[in-house]
Amino acid sequence: MEEKEFDRLLKTCRIKLTKEEYDKIKNDIESIISYFNSIDNTQCQENPAYHPINIKENLGEDVPKKFDNVEGILKNTRTYRFYIVGPKI
Amino acid sequence: MTETIEEFASVDKPPSYYEKLNRDINELNNRLHAFNLLSKIDRGVPFSVKDNICVNGVESTAGSPILKGYIPPFDATVVEKIKQASFSFIGKTSMDEFGFGTFGINCDTPAKNPFDEERVAGGSSSGAAVATAILKHHIAIAESTGGSISAPAAFCGVVGFTPTYGAVSRYGLIDYANSLDKIGVMARNSSDLRYAFDIIRGTDDYDSTCTNRAIENFSTNKLTVIKELVENVDSEILEPFNSLLDTLKGQGYSVEYKSLEILKQSIPAYYIISMAEASTNLAKYTGFKYGHKNMEFTENYNLFFTNSRTAFGTEAKRRVILGTFVRSASVKNRYYFKALNIRNTIIAALKETLKDSLIISPTMPVFTPKFSEVKELTPVQNYSMDAITIPPNLSGLPHMSFPYTYLNGMPVGAQIVTDHFNDYALISFLEAWEKSFKPKFKYNIGAI
Repeated sequence: MEEKEFDRLLKTCRIKLTKEEYDKIKNDIESIISYFNSIDNTQCQENPAYHPINIKENLGEDVPKKFDNVEGILKNTRTYRFYIVGPKI
Repeated sequence: MTETIEEFASVDKPPSYYEKLNRDINELNNRLHAFNLLSKIDRGVPFSVKDNICVNGVESTAGSPILKGYIPPFDATVVEKIKQASFSFIGKTSMDEFGFGTFGINCDTPAKNPFDEERVAGGSSSGAAVATAILKHHIAIAESTGGSISAPAAFCGVVGFTPTYGAVSRYGLIDYANSLDKIGVMARNSSDLRYAFDIIRGTDDYDSTCTNRAIENFSTNKLTVIKELVENVDSEILEPFNSLLDTLKGQGYSVEYKSLEILKQSIPAYYIISMAEASTNLAKYTGFKYGHKNMEFTENYNLFFTNSRTAFGTEAKRRVILGTFVRSASVKNRYYFKALNIRNTIIAALKETLKDSLIISPTMPVFTPKFSEVKELTPVQNYSMDAITIPPNLSGLPHMSFPYTYLNGMPVGAQIVTDHFNDYALISFLEAWEKSFKPKFKYNIGAI
């Protein structure tokens, strides 16, 4: 994989690598992709299995439910009043 | 001595029993690192929970620094059910970061094998297997995506049971790959396994993939050995496995051999699908939710997000990068959709075989390795170690690893697979096997 292509991939998935990680992981990725290429000539059904079993539509009613422990959620983040604080967009 | 959880639960225990239990487990855990976190108990039957399953008010990190400090404000459905059955929570068990590993080494403090502390416990549910191997009366709630219950169960000499995909609710599980993740159980015997599975299975309004299909028990005396599952197994494992087949024949089972070429593609297909799903699941760890708090709020979002994710370990980074790659518009048909097609073909081939038989194989292709040995493996060599556990996991088929012999003092496990929703057939198989085989344990903490 070209360095330019790899850099673009890193940017897409928001992963930053240290200098030491960069070469090692790039080499690993190349060898794994090369391993993945073994599926190219596999004869198989043209019918993707998104799930291993057939799942019937089983969706709940679209009604709001009260969650009792809102404070518990907010404890897992930095907050201002009842707002979660995050970076600017 | 009480053997099963039901017997244990029926015996009154004084407070001193639990004091000693807490003390002993704490002391041994300092050496073996089965638990990331221990909770003192004073009643009931102990149950442990893999660190990627949420327990209300208890830090749950899935073995990752990025989730450090995350305290779930709710119980996973499986935890809620088992608490209601009067079990007592004893601790969170250690694991590979997000389940990314076969040997339990992709974390800060890897669990050690209780039979030989220089050897790995297996992964990713490493701590769950060690906890089961050291506690006499206990149930471990574990989780498997590609073999994370079977592999450590085999290396630690316990029973590892992975139910049919969808038989147990995944609500409250910190996802790795949604179409592959299955919550299961580790135990020491069939009675405890049945007891726990009866409690945790069943539908859940909070998990739309959890089905209400009845779980069957269609037993058969026919076993099938698939060539592609045994052809790369080390001879030191294959030899005792062939002796196991002879023993089973003597107990009335017939053994047939067949080839399923498509299984050769199960490892790449599995890793493509699981990495694709993992890369989307891990996108939610942005640095300002779920515990880990990056405080550089002046940075713009992309920089903030990118900097936060430096907290991922090497394997997590590798899988996020690869998962993003195989989903890229230019190659998704070549990798992701091809892998989904292969999965369908594998499911069809395995189900055809399982119509009238169980599939049996060794659980792992190698003897329990030392820590120093697995550090030398390349990622592809590492992934190849899952060759036997991946096919049933990729297919959502119920399977179980059970101990059947000891080599140089280390336990060796075999894997048995049955058709979707025929989970009880595996427990029945184990019940029959236990009549002729008694597992050994180095530790029996809590025995009465």
